[in-house]
Amino acid sequence: MKGYIKYYGGRIAWYVVTFFCALILNFILPRLMPGNPIATIVSNATAGMTDASAIKQIQEQYIQRFGLDKSYFQQFWLYVGNLLKGDMGTSFSQYPRTVSNIIGSSVLWTLGLQLPAIIVGWCLGNFLGCIAAYIRKGFDKVVMPVFMFISNMPAFGMATILLWLFAIQLKIAPSGGGYGFDMVPNMSWAFIQSVLSHWILPFCSVVLITIGGQAIGMRSMSIYELNADYVKYSRFLGIKDSKIITYVFRNAMLPQVTGLAMSFGTMLSGNIIAEQVFSYPGVGSALLSSVTGRDYPLLSGCTLIITVMVLIANLVIEILYGFIDPRVKANQMES
Amino acid sequence: MGKVMLEVRDLKTKYVTRMKEDVYSVDGVSLTIEEGKSLGVAGESGCGKSTLALSLMGYYFAPLHYMSGDIIVDGQNISGMEPDYIRKHILGSEIAYIPQAAMNALNPTQKIIKFINNVIHVHDPSMSKGDIYDMARERFEKLGLPENVLQKHAVELSGGMKQRTVIAISTILSPKVLIADEPSSALDVTSQKMVIKMMKQLMHEGLVKSMIFITHELPLLYQVTDDIMVMYAGQIVEKGTAHEMVFDPIMPYTKGLMGSIIVPEDGMKANKLEAIPGTPPNLKHPPAGCRFAPRCKYATPECMVYAPPVKKPAPGREYRCLFEEKYLKELYANG
Amino acid sequence: MKQTLKNVFSSPKFLIGFILFMVLLITSLAWPLFADFGPLQNVVQKNGGFAAPGTYVNVADAVELVKDNSSVKFDVDTSANRLAHRLDADSRQMMVDWLHTYATAEYIPDINADDAAKIQELTIDDMYAVCADWEKYYDFSVMPKTIKKAERNKYNQIDKKVQTMLSNEALILASKGENGLQEDCKVPMNAFVNTKDVASRYTLILGSDNFGRDVFTELTSSILVSMRIGLIAGCIATLIGMTLGLLAGFIGGVLDNIITFFTNLFTVIPSFVLLILIANAVGGSHRGVTLIALLIGFTGWTWTARSVRSQVLSLRNRDHVNMSKISGHSTVKIIIQDILPFVASYVVMAFILQISSGILAEAQLSMLGLGPATTEVSTLGLMMHWALSFNAHTQGMWWAFLPVIFSIALITFSLNLMNTGLDQVFNPQLRD
Repeated sequence: MKGYIKYYGGRIAWYVVTFFCALILNFILPRLMPGNPIATIVSNATAGMTDASAIKQIQEQYIQRFGLDKSYFQQFWLYVGNLLKGDMGTSFSQYPRTVSNIIGSSVLWTLGLQLPAIIVGWCLGNFLGCIAAYIRKGFDKVVMPVFMFISNMPAFGMATILLWLFAIQLKIAPSGGGYGFDMVPNMSWAFIQSVLSHWILPFCSVVLITIGGQAIGMRSMSIYELNADYVKYSRFLGIKDSKIITYVFRNAMLPQVTGLAMSFGTMLSGNIIAEQVFSYPGVGSALLSSVTGRDYPLLSGCTLIITVMVLIANLVIEILYGFIDPRVKANQMES
Repeated sequence: MGKVMLEVRDLKTKYVTRMKEDVYSVDGVSLTIEEGKSLGVAGESGCGKSTLALSLMGYYFAPLHYMSGDIIVDGQNISGMEPDYIRKHILGSEIAYIPQAAMNALNPTQKIIKFINNVIHVHDPSMSKGDIYDMARERFEKLGLPENVLQKHAVELSGGMKQRTVIAISTILSPKVLIADEPSSALDVTSQKMVIKMMKQLMHEGLVKSMIFITHELPLLYQVTDDIMVMYAGQIVEKGTAHEMVFDPIMPYTKGLMGSIIVPEDGMKANKLEAIPGTPPNLKHPPAGCRFAPRCKYATPECMVYAPPVKKPAPGREYRCLFEEKYLKELYANG
Repeated sequence: MKQTLKNVFSSPKFLIGFILFMVLLITSLAWPLFADFGPLQNVVQKNGGFAAPGTYVNVADAVELVKDNSSVKFDVDTSANRLAHRLDADSRQMMVDWLHTYATAEYIPDINADDAAKIQELTIDDMYAVCADWEKYYDFSVMPKTIKKAERNKYNQIDKKVQTMLSNEALILASKGENGLQEDCKVPMNAFVNTKDVASRYTLILGSDNFGRDVFTELTSSILVSMRIGLIAGCIATLIGMTLGLLAGFIGGVLDNIITFFTNLFTVIPSFVLLILIANAVGGSHRGVTLIALLIGFTGWTWTARSVRSQVLSLRNRDHVNMSKISGHSTVKIIIQDILPFVASYVVMAFILQISSGILAEAQLSMLGLGPATTEVSTLGLMMHWALSFNAHTQGMWWAFLPVIFSIALITFSLNLMNTGLDQVFNPQLRD
């Protein structure tokens, strides 16, 4: 048990260090911008604003928030301190909303969409991959190339195609947004229904993409395991094939769990781009509006929150994985 | 003469490759083993000894296919039986197998006791988990394996421990015939010694009634088994007691094979180590005459054309050559 | 080497991927020879931008042909066809609705009872019957006074259209002369010209985008640019990854610890986030195609570094490497002679994957508006970005985005197929 605590303590510490590095990058990169960043940012932020007092307010708030008269080191601690208080600054493009406020609501939408979709896609993909590896022949020959093609489709491409096909051509789904544009978020049944109907298309697009990649990985893992020595040995001890298959799939499945962790990074950040196709009110749309609106604080907030989401997902899966797979546990205890 | 445990008559099996070509890797093998006896099978790699091990179990799956011949285990002819019957009633309990690569023979993510549960459940579904545990513990202790191995996963065991665990699991039902395919070749010297000791113990205490021991290490056979049989290109080329085979080989191939080893016994003249030139024939298209003829330094043109008959100069002694024993001995004497 | 190439090309997966990729590449390279326009030339002017795929003929040329009397008169009734084209769906629906409501005994007392029954079953699919009944029964005055004037006017406009269409009279072209309008020529309703005779004629295979550019020409040039981005990014990522992997794996020690730390760090921090931050920091005016490619390369090396390192670790203590070490070969020589040939297959596979992920990364970056800021070339990502920002997808202008999506998918698909093929050749264990 002591080994566990030591190991996981180490992992958590490592993730904290990683988070800190991400924080530093998030702090430094915008400051590497050529020219005087504050002038560019403030002029960008206030472009189109006519209210002189508002412009001045932003400028002052900006200088104050970043403490631009202080050294970089002090600025960084100020930045971290503000973050700890949950203060990520004020959005330029959606003035006077705060960045924390915008991100707080969009993260919920993104999590509500991506987490179930990635998990469902992962489960279905693994299931289909198993079946393809076991059945081979017809099913495998037809289904695998299709999955392979689908998995190579960029997430935003799948989103666009689904939107065009089901919302525009067939008109059986709403064409975007998180809920009906004539509605005000509340807890009524009608609102929930509207949310669900807007949710289903983006959900399907993420599921389809995830299925493709997972099914292919699972299939080749299963084929590899089916040829393993323990399969032959178990057979020669008289164990039923159906029982042996359960060994094989369990073993093939476990590396896929790491796959899940590793692909959370790419899946989450890649799928987020797909959100903007559906104008889904998640982090992806916030990201887009921050870029188009040259809303620097919002952009920085979005990238930070994506990083945090990926880090947490990785950490959780890594911890869970150690408990499921004795091979990994053995490795962990060794190191 | 003891009770015959295993009798094999003219067994032929083949591999079907991915290119749909037939490889006749066991081509008319006959052998008999009595209770309490052990038989060693020697030969170069690729001569078909591992395939023979797989073929003897009467349980075939692609790419290995049964062609003809009988396998009689303790009076029961299993070669025509339903695979499912063989799986339930023969494998593990009548014939047991120890695989070549025991390193990977155990499912890495399964506890040893769970695997034993599964194995025993096939043959005796009525046994309770508690009974199985007691039985396994008793057997493991008898064979000098610690009880806590049962609660471990295969990945947590060392190589030698894994191999001994595999042997213990294979013989847990006290089979009548044990087929061990290179059980010690991948191990370090100490583990090898323990494994050999264990095999001897199994025979000595009657936990297995007879044994076929397959290896390319001839000195090992001389130490462990009563009889030795040499295979070449899917056929048995010579058979006799261990002593006869080492000190009085008849067939040129056996002579060559024995010449390429050092047996630490008195009475052996200081042999110069010789390797047999050339490589074994391709079993997709075995040569018409004697299969060893292309590599044999005593071969005559007849050897290339006529397949040699099996000759039996004494009870239990066999060889396959066109020439008489006397003539061959003269040839050897003259160098 | 020759044998390896032979093995690689005998793998069906690799071959299919390779052929697909080459077809895309060669088409893109060769198309400018046949194209009428430059890739970024604004050829089409149309309200709302997107012109549908098809062949466009010059209207003036066609009329000239009619004037020259080189047109052909068909002895067929063309009204139905024109009906379908000139009455939009709403007007047609209005006609049917009017008939359903007013062509009844209630409003038109002397209506034929059979007709009245039939009219009730009319739909807009049978415009011929609708028009016939319309002509027979449409009467402005039967509508009750309570109907708004605007609505009545609408009905009258439709009626006018229907009347001109049904009368097979000629269309008159006139010019403004001294005495007012002067008839120039008559274009009979059944006059046709052979499209081959029309001098100016352009075929837009995939229509135009919102700027009026020929999508197909733009697409082929974008494919090339995107492939270039992928190639540059792939080269850089592979080079960095390979160097770091080799150093970490072979030299080991503190260097290994440092490199491994950074590799793990950048594996967990999503490279896409880094890309967004850097691309944003660079600022719009500096973001060219090459710079974007470089950025993608500099953020995408982690996987290569990881896998090369683990390969090298397993190679480091092999006999032939130890031999070289004992023989006193320099580290560089050992790496080049004894390590590289063994990791080469992995590096090639990683390189192929890097190209495809580079193309994807560019597309995603462009979708956010952080792609190459250039007006000289377009990329697949930029085309997608433009199509979506001008709402091609919600207007159903499929030709502006579907070909782009399929091009991206085909490129990555073919590259991944090649990769799988190579994997099966080099790691036969996975072979099926």
